[in-house]
Amino acid sequence: MTEQNDNLEALMQRSLSGDQRAYAALLQQTSRLLRPFLARRLSFASEADDLMQEILISIHKARHTYDGKRPYKPWAYAIAKFRLQDFLRAHYADQLRHAVDFDELEETLPEGVTEAVLSYESIHAEVQKLPEKQATILQMMHQDGYTAKEVAQKLDMNESAVKVAAHRAYKILRGKLER
Amino acid sequence: MENIDDLISRLAQDGQTVKSAPHPFVLSLKWMGVALIYLVVSLAISGVRPDWADKLQNPLFATEIAALLAVFATTTFAAALLVFPDIHQKGRLAFAPLASFMLFVLAMYLSWQSDVPPASLPVHGIECTLGITVMALLPSIWTFYFMRNYASTHCRLAGSVALLSSFSIGALWLRLYEVNDSILHVIEWHYLPMLVIGIIGLLLGKKILKW
Repeated sequence: MTEQNDNLEALMQRSLSGDQRAYAALLQQTSRLLRPFLARRLSFASEADDLMQEILISIHKARHTYDGKRPYKPWAYAIAKFRLQDFLRAHYADQLRHAVDFDELEETLPEGVTEAVLSYESIHAEVQKLPEKQATILQMMHQDGYTAKEVAQKLDMNESAVKVAAHRAYKILRGKLER
Repeated sequence: MENIDDLISRLAQDGQTVKSAPHPFVLSLKWMGVALIYLVVSLAISGVRPDWADKLQNPLFATEIAALLAVFATTTFAAALLVFPDIHQKGRLAFAPLASFMLFVLAMYLSWQSDVPPASLPVHGIECTLGITVMALLPSIWTFYFMRNYASTHCRLAGSVALLSSFSIGALWLRLYEVNDSILHVIEWHYLPMLVIGIIGLLLGKKILKW
């Protein structure tokens, strides 16, 4: 292990003095070193590959901040973690941008499935075939006229959970009715 | 994107001789040297408070100036450490400004306790904060400019300490220039804005030091 560390530091020192073969070997060893680190944190191999390329480019850009006198691994891992955080931040921000607001679903889906086209009574039989909780929620919201908040209070549930259950029920119903 | 092996070959071909960055001690000494020259030149232009020699005999004033110098030195050193991706593997030293800030707060507390009866408040207020900010502008610009040549992985923190370092130079200038003995005024308009500056530094660091 120490020998490998010595090698990495020596390789980096040679790289800084312009030895291109040493630099290629260093980058190869770095990519082998970081691959398990990225694989443990990312779901897809393609994501790990893309990020690995970004990390290697970052190491290249920042190589003047390494002097060859301190351990190489912590320096390389610091850059890898930095790029990984950037990647994950962008990834989750993108997911949030594409996320659907449940309030919007409540406004659009019920209209399309149960109100504008069909009445609750006409699909009553299908509703009864739904899981018990979903059927109860739809009945309270569309037959008894309760809001999602009121249903949540009566069933001792979270309002978001009521909306999620209703949304799932709408999806099942739409699937059945479109057939 | 291209294959990893192709990328490595391409980067290796681009691997010319590179001069390593100076050690953070050397880097911070350079930055401190430039900032102190700026402070001396500014004081030479604006003039020093006429009672400066007497004031420096006052232990509380001398402690305040020494603590402010310590804040300046430690924040500059922390900024120099934080431009390295691995903090030059001296992570604990990056928190050195905390110790100097505690010393500074203690010095201000002692000055406030001994300000009996309180010295009369000057008529101006925010002008002092603005003066310090204007004085800190140039050091801030050059510090961020130099920091961008490195590769910080703690951009927010680096931005915050860099701005605090510049602001402490502005605060030193005003304390040595303005004839003012009201410690309440000094705390309110000279030093409390440092908290806001620290927060602005966090935001600027994220924007400017990203690489």
